[in-house]
Amino acid sequence: MASDVDTAPLVGRADLLTAVRSALLDDVAPGHTAAVFLTGESGVGKTRLLREVGARLRDAGALVLTGSCLDIGDASPLHPLLQALRRFDAELTAAHARTSLAVRGLLQTFADETDGAGALLERVSRGLHLIAEGRPLVLVLDDLQWVDRSTRQLLLYLLAGLGDLQLSVLAAVRAESLQGAHPLRRVLTELRRLRSVRVLDLAPLDRPDTERLAAAVVGRPLAPEAAEQIWRRSGGNPFVVEELARDLRDGRDGLSDTLREIFLARVDALPQPAHAVVHAVAAGVEPVEHWLLARVVRQPEDELIEAVRAAVAHRLLVGADDGYRLRHRLVAEVLEHELLPAERAALHRRYAEALTAAPAELHQARLAHHWRLAGEPARALPAAVAAAEEAERLHGYAEAHRHWSVALQLADTPAGGPVAVDRATLLEHAAEAAHHCGEHARALALLEELVAADAGGSACARHIRRARYLAAAGRSAPAEAEYQKVLEAADCTPRERATAAAHLAELLLHLGRYADAGRRAREALRLAARVEGSTSEVVLASAALGFSEAYLEDPDAGLAVMREALETAERAGRPEDVACAYLHLAELLTGPLNVLEEGVVVARRGAERVAELGLGRTYETRLLAIATNGLFRVGQWAEAEKVVAAALRHRPSGADAVELLLARCRLSVGYGDIEAADRDLDSVATVLAGGGARHVIPLLTLRAGLSMWQGRHDLARQAVQRGLTESRSDDVGILAALVWHGLRAEAEAHASRTVAVDQTAVRRLREVAERVARKSEHAARPVRDVVDGFLALCAAEVSRLDGNDPELWARSVAEWDRRNHPYPAAYSRLRQAEALLARRSRSATAGKLLQQAYQVAQGLGAVPLTSEIRTLAGRARVRLEEHGAVGDAGAAAGPDGDELAVLTAREREVLAAVAEGLTNKEIGQRLFISERTIGVHVSHIFDKLQVRTRVQASAIYLRSRSA
Amino acid sequence: MTEPVWGPVHRDIVDLLADHPADVPAVVDHLTKLQDLLVRLPPLEESCPLADFNKLYLTITTSVLDGLYDDRFADPVFLSRLDVEFAARYFDALRLWTDSSPGCPKAWSCLFERMRGPDARPLPSAAAGVNAHINFDLPFALVTTFDSLESEPVDGTDQHRDYLEINNIFADKIPGLRRGYLDRWQLLIDMLNGDIDDWYQGELIEYTRDVAWRNAQKIWRCRHDPAAHECERARLDDNAALLGRLLLSPLGAFLQ
Repeated sequence: MASDVDTAPLVGRADLLTAVRSALLDDVAPGHTAAVFLTGESGVGKTRLLREVGARLRDAGALVLTGSCLDIGDASPLHPLLQALRRFDAELTAAHARTSLAVRGLLQTFADETDGAGALLERVSRGLHLIAEGRPLVLVLDDLQWVDRSTRQLLLYLLAGLGDLQLSVLAAVRAESLQGAHPLRRVLTELRRLRSVRVLDLAPLDRPDTERLAAAVVGRPLAPEAAEQIWRRSGGNPFVVEELARDLRDGRDGLSDTLREIFLARVDALPQPAHAVVHAVAAGVEPVEHWLLARVVRQPEDELIEAVRAAVAHRLLVGADDGYRLRHRLVAEVLEHELLPAERAALHRRYAEALTAAPAELHQARLAHHWRLAGEPARALPAAVAAAEEAERLHGYAEAHRHWSVALQLADTPAGGPVAVDRATLLEHAAEAAHHCGEHARALALLEELVAADAGGSACARHIRRARYLAAAGRSAPAEAEYQKVLEAADCTPRERATAAAHLAELLLHLGRYADAGRRAREALRLAARVEGSTSEVVLASAALGFSEAYLEDPDAGLAVMREALETAERAGRPEDVACAYLHLAELLTGPLNVLEEGVVVARRGAERVAELGLGRTYETRLLAIATNGLFRVGQWAEAEKVVAAALRHRPSGADAVELLLARCRLSVGYGDIEAADRDLDSVATVLAGGGARHVIPLLTLRAGLSMWQGRHDLARQAVQRGLTESRSDDVGILAALVWHGLRAEAEAHASRTVAVDQTAVRRLREVAERVARKSEHAARPVRDVVDGFLALCAAEVSRLDGNDPELWARSVAEWDRRNHPYPAAYSRLRQAEALLARRSRSATAGKLLQQAYQVAQGLGAVPLTSEIRTLAGRARVRLEEHGAVGDAGAAAGPDGDELAVLTAREREVLAAVAEGLTNKEIGQRLFISERTIGVHVSHIFDKLQVRTRVQASAIYLRSRSA
Repeated sequence: MTEPVWGPVHRDIVDLLADHPADVPAVVDHLTKLQDLLVRLPPLEESCPLADFNKLYLTITTSVLDGLYDDRFADPVFLSRLDVEFAARYFDALRLWTDSSPGCPKAWSCLFERMRGPDARPLPSAAAGVNAHINFDLPFALVTTFDSLESEPVDGTDQHRDYLEINNIFADKIPGLRRGYLDRWQLLIDMLNGDIDDWYQGELIEYTRDVAWRNAQKIWRCRHDPAAHECERARLDDNAALLGRLLLSPLGAFLQ
């Protein structure tokens, strides 16, 4: 910001500057992200620090984009980013034609249609990638307390690494704003726990720094009384210190203690034309462009410039390339009491008139704002509607909802004159936008108003809509009643009834009322059969029927229905229907039916098919997530890794991204790749900081598993405790896995003697395990199956705390073998062997168990499990066979004598690349996995082939190829 | 330099407050450590008015934690986040007080001021803390929690029922602490849960207990309007501070 007035030096912030710089640039590994949030009271110097750090990072070679959030409640989505890009574009010279083209391209993105908020995020991050041209990118955002929801989601998306950018965020937040019910509070609570995020509270200056700053402003050391006075009156707030010192230097009699009084005195001293300028800027939306100001104050150019100069000299206004701003928010508050309402309305009118003539940034939102405050609702209305439509185009439903609400208010203003827009249409849009941004109560209230207005339309359509809103708000009982009304009403069309029945079936399924769901689903299918073009209803109802049958123990019938639905969808040809049908079928197979291999095949075939149909971003990603999880469970980890990498190339967002990151993290935990797992967990936590509680328990379970491999049983315990206090007891499957992790942590603590066993924790975990067992007794077979496996593990872990009963481990082995999940089965075998050996009995059986577990663990590439098996075998003097035919899961064994038979498919791919002479980094890029993971693979390869160098490994590879 | 705010335990309290607990077990841990420090604060030590409140709050939060472990609530995700967010406001107030910031809510500072004396009776001291926490902090904690869960304060939901369940925990614990003063406590609780106006008007107990919830709904509606939101904040702070001062005045001692 180029102010005409000399700026005081930055005092007392040297350490902070260095710390922020290294947190945002020097300490950030390539490809990683980082963020610093500065909080502090007004005047403590946040904006100044942003500027200083920004300049330093720019000098160090980073690309710095700077924007600020606006405090008009009706801003537009992603405004700070747009502003930052426009500023950057304006700074670019002709020498940067390519960058400029990239910036324009990205700006164009905001004007184009995109299908969904996720697609917009992806395109924005691609655009930023082009602009950065390989440089680290830094996003500097001021006044983050006014951030819009879309920008907030974008920041979390980029910080989670989903945009595939090396990005740092530096943002300032006014501490006062966080005191109320600000949504950023929760976001910061969650983010501040991550290693890549720092929340720094900017404190006032201490006494010596206060004096130093004052002396620098005055130009000479201060007399002790003066110094004391400044310290006492400013409390170390640098802004106040600077102003007080300036008054002292200029011999002004400073009686004012607070910023408010300082500004009040300044405003009083201002010459008349400058007064008008300051009032005009205060009424505008910052930054106020020079041309716009000229039209609003209506002074001749020379006089205007003179007036602006005076306002700047009195330190009330700052000027920059893009326009004028008040020096401080308090100036606006001080000025507010000076103007008569009529004067203020006149200013707004002039703004509105000027903006009508010449479009500017945030055009519609500003027009609506000014016309409304000018007391011209009829003219504000079309602008508000246009702003709402613009926000919807950017999928910013929260902002759109606010614009629609303003439009409604305007339409209701009596002085409004004839209204060009139909009120019912406004209500319609407002309700839908409220529904989309999660304002359920408001959506329902608007719908009521629409009904009261008797705006026509069928009663059935309204019931369906109300049911949809209620279901989204989680109010199942009234939603069910609404659907019932549709089914019972005489005047509903067959189409409406089919829709209601299908959605009702889905709702009942989620409530666990499988028999009712099945009944409704059949009804829906019957109704849909008579209606042309009701494929979506058929798919939805078939899925509900398929799942309810699976839960009610007639899996084949359900599967047949779902397969038929897929055929129907393919025949009808609507891409979304085909995609949904694949999705439900794959979920059914890999979920309650536990037919994993087939489920994986269906998911992958579906992924290919929906990609052809142009739904790669959304449905392909979801199908690949299902495939990944299935592959993990059947023990084809190398394949799972490949699939998850392919899915992440779509740069998914939200829940889809979380699913995939968790899936990849599960693999990394299994591989023992701690850094990669940690990174994925932090990414998930970043996304979840923006909302979404459903994935917290799987996140905490993985965190616990990872901590145990690191020997941090205390951290594992903490993660499990948090999980136990935040999970619903009816999610028995998820809860059972968590409880197992908790008990395992205590058992490992007991075995390793590094951390004391927490008896209270053990008692609680056993109680929860018992509760889970009780609840699952009445659950459907598929649910019970999942739970039983984990409960078997729980019982065995408990015995590990006291005696370690090999029988319990044998039971767990049987459970997991039956379900065809080799990894937990191998773990159970290891523990069974351990228990047998501890009793010094049947060491032959123990040896066999270890051999089997070893074979599986090696085949999977499960490094930590393998090394535990080796350690135990070493202690028990069991010789582990490297080659063998037992329990071969996943590893495609070659013909006899093939030296590469011990390697997994993935390891062979890596070895082939090693033999080509590629570096780990290059291999990582080729195979879409991290360099670090390649390192892990390479060390496994060395281990298994018993070589020590890449050359030796390559030699074996080439030899076996030519054989 | 003047003496640090927390006297001999200043460093310990600053270090403790540097941490931001993010789950309920961590909140309990935090309150426990804080209690150990507060009772060492001269000159009042064991009878520090803030320690009186902190002890009560620790007891109640421990009950909430047990309730979470024992499957007592319908929506534990909501309740645990509310609990963390609720506690965070108390810790925030303590941090602001530590920094001698003018931003420290008045509702809290009237209790913090009494930390070094003169002595106040334990009952009104604890009550003043409960007052600040429920009448001022709770509505905002509710709004933040709903916002982060993408939900909203609607009467009759699971979340509303869980919220009322906390009231029961308060009611359970407080008579246990003050055996023999049940009637007065009952009066106090009813009074605390409402604005002074409501108390004077003798509104129904059910209603007054729900005032924080109603206030949350009010804030919810204006949460996107910074000016209206700030206005509501100032109103609740003033009301709570007024009642807090009353409780800590000699008049408050009648409760004992």
